[in-house]
Amino acid sequence: MLTTVLLRRLIFSIPTLLGVATLAFMLGHMSPGDPAIAAMGLDLEGYSSVEPEELERVREELGLNKPILVQYVGWLTRALQGDFGTSYVSTIEVSELVFEALPTTMLLLVMTMSVSIVVGISLGIVSAVFKGRTGDYIARMIAIIGVSTPTFWFALVLMLCFAVAIPIFPVNGSFDEFGWKAMALPTMAIALHPAALIARMMRSSMLEVLSHDMIRTATAKGLSRWRVYMVHGLRNAINPVITVIGFQFANLMGGAVAVEFIFSLPGLGSLLIEGIYEKDILVIQGAVLVIGVAFALSNLLVDLLYMIIDPRIRI
Amino acid sequence: MTDTTHTQIPMPSDDSGYRSGWSLFAESSNKFLELKLNKFSFGLTMFLIVLAILAPWIAPFPYDVVDPARGLSAPGWPHLMGTDQAGRDIFSRVLYGAQTSLSIGLVTVLFGLVTGVSLGAISGYVGGWVDEVIMRLVEIFMSVPGIVMALALVSILGPSVPSIILALSIRRITQFSRVARGSVLSVKSQDYVTACHALGMSNARIVFAHVLPNCIGPIIVLASVLLGNVILTESTLSFLGMGIQEPTPSWGGMIAKGNEFLTFAPWISLFPGGFLFLTMIAFNLLGDGVRDHLDPRGGSVV
Repeated sequence: MLTTVLLRRLIFSIPTLLGVATLAFMLGHMSPGDPAIAAMGLDLEGYSSVEPEELERVREELGLNKPILVQYVGWLTRALQGDFGTSYVSTIEVSELVFEALPTTMLLLVMTMSVSIVVGISLGIVSAVFKGRTGDYIARMIAIIGVSTPTFWFALVLMLCFAVAIPIFPVNGSFDEFGWKAMALPTMAIALHPAALIARMMRSSMLEVLSHDMIRTATAKGLSRWRVYMVHGLRNAINPVITVIGFQFANLMGGAVAVEFIFSLPGLGSLLIEGIYEKDILVIQGAVLVIGVAFALSNLLVDLLYMIIDPRIRI
Repeated sequence: MTDTTHTQIPMPSDDSGYRSGWSLFAESSNKFLELKLNKFSFGLTMFLIVLAILAPWIAPFPYDVVDPARGLSAPGWPHLMGTDQAGRDIFSRVLYGAQTSLSIGLVTVLFGLVTGVSLGAISGYVGGWVDEVIMRLVEIFMSVPGIVMALALVSILGPSVPSIILALSIRRITQFSRVARGSVLSVKSQDYVTACHALGMSNARIVFAHVLPNCIGPIIVLASVLLGNVILTESTLSFLGMGIQEPTPSWGGMIAKGNEFLTFAPWISLFPGGFLFLTMIAFNLLGDGVRDHLDPRGGSVV
């Protein structure tokens, strides 16, 4: 049963994945002027500095002299095999750049996701259980501040406090150089916003569940408060929270772009921004494609998780 | 808690039974402002908007006059928030920055609203393959994180104001169209729509004059929630150098400049950051308030 559903869901995500690929392909062709010039990382002023033969060679290589549909199919076939072309700016294969950057971003996302889930759910529960009391006000205050703090600014403030004023953590550097210490501040910076969103959802969902009769029954049965909240409350309140968590990927990736850049973490976000600064269209295409595909897959994962937690749901 | 005040269905209180739109609006907004938190967020929002509008009169210095001799001076007199490395007054630039952020936010949300709601209304009302195509497109555009999409677009189209607005609105268009489609679907099977058909009205007239006005609640809620969101994305873009370009002040751009001097002149990025934070608090609280007010049962819309 589960495999059939999984298979159906996988097939359903194919058009979306194709669409994301098309979007990434179109990005390269939207640039005003000659895509060959753009692919070489030059703008229109750089046009005159390029030898006509060189330009012709690049056009040939990119297949720009073929009809656009042929170009698209060719590009897609190569992309499916993990070949995103060779960057004209750095003369390194884009796939190599992307796969080198991927582990850092994945690690960062997994860490921020875990932190924001733990913090968010705990805050939300505290808020709901102590509704209208001090604990609730503090938790809600943290949540509203968390939602309103710009991630990149928070990253700078954290850096100023814990890397410059009190030098506990490195100002910048990769996981390879400093290990977990390099990830601590970036994780905190990115996790704040999703944690606050999760806490808000958890609070309202938990409040609704706690007003149900079954909670009264469970309490009347003589169960401990802990058991009532954690087993009966949480289990029934978690579904909408999972949906919110699922939506956090885009949020996290968005945060990761700026934060990786601030802390010079060599991840996908930094790659994308460097690609943008260098006007390296192929790198931009590759990064957008990988991020889009990862997002589609994370949606799939959330749906599956949903089914495991709540067997009534069948997609 | 006094949750009952939220769930009450507003009933016409006068005897005539007929209420003009304005009087309903006035009553609704009075009720909205009864809550202390709403009063606070509304006041803060208004304060920021007034600051932005009056920037040319309040700002003690022009935002772009470079005076290296006064560079990096700490907050004090006459530079209330200090100066940046070029000697430009931070306070004045923060005020003009409010103008930039608020106007881009407003235009983007309006553009996203008009385009997204039209798309969503068509999608929901027409149905069939049109619905399928539009919703697939929306799903594809939603698959790329907003900031990544915006960065890629601006880098390719160039960082001009129209391309920034376009890049920022793409995600809002998808969000608005989803919400509008959902509301239209729930409204379109009601009797009064059938009655409109029977009266021989055109589809366009039914959608825009009769269906959409009845879907306005969730759309207003989404718009108020998204305003803060757009301002945040714009400042992130500017922070990364892909948004508003110098010398036009933007909070994100100012924070980025200050980043270089963070250790010995933190005021350059702390003040614009603080204002950005205040704006976000104001808009988030306002958005929450509007949501609770118009849709007491609803959860999160984004």
